[in-house]
Amino acid sequence: MISIASAMQQDAIKELLENYNEDGLSYSFKEKQGIKLLFTTTGEDTEAAAKKAKELIKAQPWGSVLYFQAAAV
Amino acid sequence: MDGLTSWMEKYILPVAAKIGAQKHLVALRDAFIGTMPATMAGSIAVMINAIIRDLPPQFWPSYDASTIPVIREIISINGFVWNGTLAVAGLVFAFSWGYNLARAYRVNDLAGGIVGMATLIQGIAFSYSTSVATTVPAALMDEINAGSASTGWSATADALTAGGWGWLKLDHLNGNAYFTVMIMGAISVIIFCKLMLADITIKMPDSVPPAVSKAFAAILPATIALYVIAIINFVVGKLTDGQLIIDLVQKYIAEPFLGLSQGLGAVLIVTIFVQIFWFFGIHGPNVLAPVLEGIWGQAQLINIDIFQKGYEGQTGTNAVLAAIEDGKAYMWVRGSFDAFAWFGGSGGTIVLLIAILIFSKRADYLTVAKLSIGPGVFNINEPVMFGLPIVLNAIMFIPFIVAPLVATTIGWLATYFGLVAPVSQQVTWVVPPMMLSFLATGADWRAPVVTLVCMVVTFFIWAPFVISANKIDPKLGE
Repeated sequence: MISIASAMQQDAIKELLENYNEDGLSYSFKEKQGIKLLFTTTGEDTEAAAKKAKELIKAQPWGSVLYFQAAAV
Repeated sequence: MDGLTSWMEKYILPVAAKIGAQKHLVALRDAFIGTMPATMAGSIAVMINAIIRDLPPQFWPSYDASTIPVIREIISINGFVWNGTLAVAGLVFAFSWGYNLARAYRVNDLAGGIVGMATLIQGIAFSYSTSVATTVPAALMDEINAGSASTGWSATADALTAGGWGWLKLDHLNGNAYFTVMIMGAISVIIFCKLMLADITIKMPDSVPPAVSKAFAAILPATIALYVIAIINFVVGKLTDGQLIIDLVQKYIAEPFLGLSQGLGAVLIVTIFVQIFWFFGIHGPNVLAPVLEGIWGQAQLINIDIFQKGYEGQTGTNAVLAAIEDGKAYMWVRGSFDAFAWFGGSGGTIVLLIAILIFSKRADYLTVAKLSIGPGVFNINEPVMFGLPIVLNAIMFIPFIVAPLVATTIGWLATYFGLVAPVSQQVTWVVPPMMLSFLATGADWRAPVVTLVCMVVTFFIWAPFVISANKIDPKLGE
């Protein structure tokens, strides 16, 4: 599981990650805990999944100015 | 809070995202960052000199580094590093700006960097001339004037003049050049990019190697762009009795603009914006980088430069202070925020962690504080920003905004009243608080004391909110 802590664009982050499915990696929204969004991921390597999620978010037009944290849980 | 967040998402984030994605501003930000290998190397050299040359005399007045073997050699070596970095920071920035601007337009970036550099160089002084009023005997005058073509000396009956051509003026290549580079470099490189995109280029046959073909393609756009700048330089020179654009920009744009940045109001405005952006989950320094680096960052480079090369016969902090008096250096620069307000990260959050460890009865707060104190020592505060969290935490909003404002005010006043030396070194932001301010001020022992005062005062701002949080059920935040 990974967590994305972000005050902004939570819906957009959910949509972005849930629609991602490449190289055997996909994300499924599990629950919201305060400003944290928890996602289950396919595959064993949650560190890599968190890193990929961070890359995906940063690549968005709004992602470059977003202050957020992506971490394996 | 949800309503406010939605409002921020709807109105502020798109603006911040547009600023963050605006290609010229992104290129400008990247151009500043791109100079770091040079500016940091130069800063290390200046900082070592500050420690071995300028710190000891504070405690040992008879100390003279230039008479001590090894120390004086190290100082000389540092001088070479400075020569190639901060002394020509404007030149480095000119290349970086051109390179990043061309990248933003997705054209030949190397050629863009070269155009940017050539733009700066063509507009600076290539000669010097200085005179001394004195009576010159006729025979000596004739002798001097006979050799003036090779010596650079000339004489009249009542003055001696030394001049020369081919001497690039360092004051036109250092931090003073930044505004001119930003303006003139933008004009030339954007012309270059537009012409490249319009395909107004020399086409080479397919048999020509790609590297050669690429370089040839850039010739025509670069030539046109540099001619446009040359014509502007020529016309401005004619209209202003030979003055250079770089001197005019410095006098009428850069100095007044940087001067405006020195007021407490301007410093507090940028502090409050950074804090508000952070609180709402927007990367404040990222969005405000063109302002923070373009204004206060440039002011810092000027201070570092003056610290190393001296001003009116003085060196180190005394030189910077003398230059500040003349409006040639700056009291508050980019590093001043790090030194006096953002200890432990934006918001001065290391103080919050200490307050939590002392006052908090909440297991969740204590756990986060224990985990965050290590990174916090190195000014990394993501664990506490998102762990506590501070972001969007209504209880923490007031201290998160107010504490840095108070700390900034204390730091500004201490600098203004001469209680601490102005920041004159570039120190990487992960250096622990107090050590950072000590190094940033050219090894002024009073700086850590001022930082400590800021920390103690902000501790009393954070503490009541930490105590209040004890009464709140942690589950309410979820």
